This record gives sequence, structure tokens and C-alpha cells, in this order.
Amino acid sequence: MANFWRNPLFGWGVDRAEDSQPTLPHRPPQEPWDETRQSKVEMFPVGRPRLYYKWPGHGGWTWNRKRYWPTRRRLLNIRGEYNPKTMRREKTIVDKRPLWWVMALSFMVIAPWLMPEDYQTTLLTAGATFAIYAAINLVWMLVIGTAGIYSLATYAVVGAAGFGTAWLSINLGVPWYVLPFIGSAIGLVFGLIIAIPATRLDGFYYALLTLGLNELCRVYALQSKIFGSSTGGLYGADTYISEHWDDATQSLVAYFACLTLMVLALVLFRFVNGKRIGRVLRMAPEKREAFAEATGVNFRQARIMVFVVSSIALGFIGGFYTAHYRGVSFSIFSFDTVLLGVAMLVIGGIGRAEGAVAGAAIVIFLDKALLSLGPIRLIIIGAIMLGVVLFLRGGLFGIKPQFRAWRDKKKSERRSTRAEKGGEMLPEEATETRDKDLIYWRRYDKMQRDYLKKLVSPEVIEEHRKSPLGQHSEALERLLLYFRRAPLSDKYAIIAVEPFKAYRIVALSGQRGVAPRIVEDRIYASQEEAYHGIFMRRVQDLLES
Amino acid sequence: MDLGFIITNAIVLSCIYGTLAIGISITWSSVGLINLAYGFIFAFAGYGAWYAAQFLSENGAVVLAAGILSGAFAGIVVCALAFIPIHDKPNFNVRGLIATLAISLIGTQGLMWWFGPRSKNLPDIFGSWSVMLGDMALTADKIGNVVTSIAFVAAVVLWMRSSRRGLEIRAMMMNPHAASIVGIGVRSTGFYVMAITGGMAGLAAVLLSQTYYISPFGGLTPMIKGVSIALCGGLGSVQGAVIAAVILGFNEAITSVTLGGQYVLITQFILIIAILLVRPRGIAGILDRAREA
Repeated sequence: MANFWRNPLFGWGVDRAEDSQPTLPHRPPQEPWDETRQSKVEMFPVGRPRLYYKWPGHGGWTWNRKRYWPTRRRLLNIRGEYNPKTMRREKTIVDKRPLWWVMALSFMVIAPWLMPEDYQTTLLTAGATFAIYAAINLVWMLVIGTAGIYSLATYAVVGAAGFGTAWLSINLGVPWYVLPFIGSAIGLVFGLIIAIPATRLDGFYYALLTLGLNELCRVYALQSKIFGSSTGGLYGADTYISEHWDDATQSLVAYFACLTLMVLALVLFRFVNGKRIGRVLRMAPEKREAFAEATGVNFRQARIMVFVVSSIALGFIGGFYTAHYRGVSFSIFSFDTVLLGVAMLVIGGIGRAEGAVAGAAIVIFLDKALLSLGPIRLIIIGAIMLGVVLFLRGGLFGIKPQFRAWRDKKKSERRSTRAEKGGEMLPEEATETRDKDLIYWRRYDKMQRDYLKKLVSPEVIEEHRKSPLGQHSEALERLLLYFRRAPLSDKYAIIAVEPFKAYRIVALSGQRGVAPRIVEDRIYASQEEAYHGIFMRRVQDLLES
Repeated sequence: MDLGFIITNAIVLSCIYGTLAIGISITWSSVGLINLAYGFIFAFAGYGAWYAAQFLSENGAVVLAAGILSGAFAGIVVCALAFIPIHDKPNFNVRGLIATLAISLIGTQGLMWWFGPRSKNLPDIFGSWSVMLGDMALTADKIGNVVTSIAFVAAVVLWMRSSRRGLEIRAMMMNPHAASIVGIGVRSTGFYVMAITGGMAGLAAVLLSQTYYISPFGGLTPMIKGVSIALCGGLGSVQGAVIAAVILGFNEAITSVTLGGQYVLITQFILIIAILLVRPRGIAGILDRAREA
């Protein structure tokens, strides 16, 4: 490490000049700058993973889009783009839900032929129950999700229509194909009655009131003789399932009828939620009604409209329920039915059609498949519901966006820990400072000090001790220049206690009229020694900063 | 039917349901949770009291204390499950409501699984004496029910007015955000509130079991009655709940005399809807948005 600095003034007979001085190798002053500006983020060879499959473009087909009647919508929401690397035409299916729906529905259609023979009747019955509950949930989802009315009286409407139609069918012999329509009429009346408080109440007040109404229906039906308080329900209504068919045909017909009902409910959901009225209501969510009203949206009318339409649909389902089960039992009004319904909605995720259907599938599966477990199966359902409510924001189908939001949060947290704090000023301080130049000056100063710290070495100190004044090596010269350029308040001076005999170091105050203060008791014998003393202090200050 | 009998019945029931309603009211206004697991707390407290009567002592005070304590315990459990994890998360109101519904489902089915569907009955905790008032016999359980529930509610209200914790709870009722800013712990207050309201449910469970039986689903009807009274009186108002309890109790008495017992719920809901149509926040509720949290 024998690196020497050659004094260029040596040949000129300068006083006390030495031919060469040992010194550290040269370090370019660019170094700290490059280091500060360098990105310390770990770079991986591959960028973001491609989460979407990119379909190849179809050339001329790009402009030939299929749309389905009566809307101008395309079958799938496809985004066309150019690959930035290869510049080839690519297509991304933005919304894959239609594909999932088609797959799920076609599975439901062919499911009866895939079932094992022994369980076919049981499974078809469970499937029919699932489809009916899914239909009720879809309509309920319109009330809670689209209209934002927290009504818990859904099963009360279904039950009222069911009991009404069952009574009519038993006592007046109304045929089965009329029952859903009579049910719709009952649902309309019932819906109008319970819509009256919805105009004034909101949120929980309405939820609690409808819970009470549900209980009212239960107690009333339980106590009244005409609704069969002795038999646990009204049975013996006309049904669409003919007695002459064999068992397999009966359950098959029932299954497909219920499936049709569910598809009808899906169509209703699509045409209410996905059309103008759904848009209007999405603009007026809870607690932001005032804004919607100010922009001219009549959200109250839209809410009541959705509510009444859903009540009619629920009445229709009630009539169908009677025609399907040959009657209704009181259990439709029970609190547990409401709880299971809420569990279905919550598990799937409020506000989505797929949530209503998937939630119904999960709950009905647990309820019917684990029948041997007794109350434990309901405890399991409750536990799932509790877990979903505590940990998920939008049910099972909200996991994906929630996970993405969480991942992005974590990403930005990590990014902020990686970020280099270049400035010597805190952000608050920086905004308060009038002189913005100061921010950059401090940042530059920090880089400079970082660089100069690396130049301090025993060789440099030894060189300065030998000759404090005169020509120095590059490293020492840089240090001295930095020290000399500092503001007065950072500087030291020497005073002669006795000329050529005793010197002391003082610190300048930097203020006019304020005398320098003595910093140490040490007395230096010569001026050179005092110079070196000051240099050592400044070096110490630099290394401590 | 005897008019005096019905009126005394109505007073007794409205005392008990009023206790429940005040509990629901305090829970909602201070911690912002609609506690629909109240029926479960009620049934749980009933079973706690039944256990005490079976294995400890049939002494009235012991049974009553066991009911109140087990109710408070169930309240704390509900608080730990439904309030603590999500009280600072978005959409807490709806999620809290659904969480209490889930707890109610789990809890009542758990009770059903553990104790079976057969209902249990508690011993007479007030003895079996009676006082004649005119030609009307006031039995011990009626007088006991009225006195105990009024005494308990009065004690709670006094405690809330005079103690440091009560001051914290009242501060939370007025403005939860400001309360948390000045250093009132939201979580600890939540535990206090839920324990007290759970104790109220426990008391009501023991008192009501003098008339009805204890069963896993027996808490549902009292909870709905309590919710209706709290709703009618204005969520968050003790005075409103008292007024509503009196009004609905007399409605019940008058309806059963004039129309018949099965029309009680119908007239009750017509009355509640009528009151709420005039005053959407209940009799004593504040008309603007009551609690936004």
C-alpha cells in the first residue's frame, strides 16, 4: 500500500518541502454521488408475472365483434392491446365471469346424469332445495345489495305468499299453474305494506323492524287455525309433479323446474341490477344519499321500485314453493331460516349474484349432506359465517380484490422501507423552510462529508502534523478546503498567549460582538502545533457528524 | 279474563322487557353494536342459573346472581368475538350485526346440542306468598319481578350517572370519537358495556323463567320484544325505552282484553310502525343521524 504523493514544489527549494509523502490511493469524488443515486432495489430478471392469459389477435376479426340482442353488449368483455415487446396484437378477457356462469349452469344441467344411481333422488331433492333458496337469495340480494334496504322480512313475504296460495289451493282448488301468479299478487300487497316504513326508516331501524315483522308472521300463523296450527303447516296443495310418474321422473322434473326458477331469478337480477335502476342505486349508497340527491338522482323512488319488484318476485317464488312442496310449513318464518339465509348471503358476499348462488350451495350442502351431525352442522355454518364476517370484507368472492389490496399495501410498505432518505431534512422541516436551496445544500453536504470521511487516514494526519501550511497531497488538500469553507460558527482560531511560546485554541462564536470562547486548557508551544490541534478537532467533528 | 290480572301481567312483562330494551339501547348507543346475540345471552344466562340451582343452591339470591353473572360472561364473550376484532374496520355496523347473528346461531345451536331441546325450569326465587290488593292477588313472583328489575335498572342508571366508568360510558354514548381522543379506551369500555347489558339480559332471563321455561330458543321472543321496545323508544335512550315499555305493555293488556291474545303482536307492530312513521328515530330519539360510527 505504498502509494506516494510527489510534491511538485520540491524542486523549487520551498521551505520544509518533502520529496514525497505516503498517502492512500485516489478515490474519485464521484463515488458518493453514484452511490446515492444508485437504485438498491433488487432487480429480478423477469418483471411482473402475467396473471392474464393473452389470446392471440385475430387479424381481421379485431373489428368484427359479436353482440347479443337486444343490447349492444359483447359476449365477453375483451380488451385488445399490443404487446409492448413483440408489437403483436393480443387480447385479454377482462371479465371471465360469463364463462364461469356458463360452466356452472351447464354442470347443473348435466348433473343428474353424472350422479351415482343410489343417491340420485336425495341429491336431486337437495339440488331442488338449493335452486329455490338460490332464487330467494338472488331476489333478496336485490333488496339488500342493490337497493341497500336491510330487510330481514324476505322469508316473511315468501311465507305469506306460500300460505296464501296453499290456503287458496286447498280450499278453492286453484290449479298449480296459477299459484305463482296469485303469490305475486300477495307479494305485491305485502311488499307495499312493508315498504311504507322503509320510506322513513333507514339502516338498522328497518332491519330490526322487519325482524319483528317476521316474528309477527310466525306467531300469527302458529296461532291461527286456518293456517293449520295443529299440523305444523298447510299441506295438500295442488302440485305440478304428477303422481303417475315414477320417482326418478318426479325428482328430475322437480329439479329442472327449480333450476328454471333460479335462472329466472338470475335474469331478474341481471335486468334490475345491471340496468339503469341498478346504476342509479349504485350512485346512492348508504350515507352518500345526499350527494346522489344533489345530482338529481331520485334514489328513494328507485329503492321502493326495486323493493316492490323484489316483493312480487318473492311472492312468485312463494307460490312456486307451495306448488313444489305441496304446501308450506311454519319453519319458513323461523328465526333460524332467516339466519341461514343471512349466512348464505354473507358467505357468498353481499351484492353479487354469484355470491348468492355459491353461498346457497355451500350452506345447503352443509345443511343437507351432514344431516347426521345434528345441531353441529348449524354450528359449523355459524362458525363459517363468523369467520367470513370477521376476516373478509366482501364474502368469498371478495377474497380476490381484498388479497390484491393487501398485497399492494404490503408492497408499498416494503418499498417505503427500501427508499433511501437522501435529504438531511425531515419532510416537515423541508416544507417549513423558506429557502429551498438549503434542502439541496444539506443533501450535497452530506454526500461530501461521506466522501471526506473516507479520506481521513493516519497518513494524512501525519502529513498535516509535519507541515500544516503549504502544498499538500490531494486528500489533505480536499479536507482543508472543506474545513476552510465552513461557516464561521463552526470554526476555530488560535490566540497567542505569549508570542512564539504559548498558543491556545478558541472557538469563534459566529456572532458579532460575542467573544470567542476557549475550548481547552492545553497550551501549544508553537503556531504549527496549534494549527495541527485545530485540524485534529475539525477532523474529529467531521467524523462525528 | 280479569282486567286486573291482565294489567298486573302487563306491568310485570313490560318491566322485564324494558330491562332487555335498555340493555339493547345502551349497547347500541355506546359501542355501536346491534346485539342480535341478545337472545343467546338470555338463554345462556337462563342455563347458568339452572346450573346454579342444580348444583349450588336453590336459594333465590344465588340463582339470581348466577343468572346475572353468566349473562355478563356471555356478554363479554360476544364483545370479544363481535366487537373487539372489527370495531375499527370499515363497515363495522353491518358486520357487527351479522357477527352477532352468527354468534346467535352458533350459541343457540350449541345450547341445543349440549342441553337438548327439552326446556328446564327454575325454582321459585321469591317464595310463594301473595298479597291481596282489593280482590286481586299479587303473587310473590310478580312483586319480586317488578321490584328486582326496577331496582337493578335503577342501580345501573345510578352507577352510570355517578361513577367514573359510567361517565366513560356516557361519554362514549355522546361522541365515541371524541371520547377515544380524550383517552377513554374504546375496547375496555366495550367490555364494561357488554358485561353490564349481558347482566341485564341474565336478570331478565331469571325473572322471566318464573313465568316461562328456559329453552335454547327461548331468548328469541324476549329479544324481539326488547328490540321492538328499544326501537320504539329510540335507540340509545333509557327514558324512551321506559316510556315505550309502558306504552307497549298497556297496548298488550288492552288488546288482549278487547280483541284477543293472538292480535297482540299485530297491534303492537301497527303501533310501532305508526310511532316510527311519525318519529323515525323513536319516541326519545334524536331526529338527526343518531350515531355515525
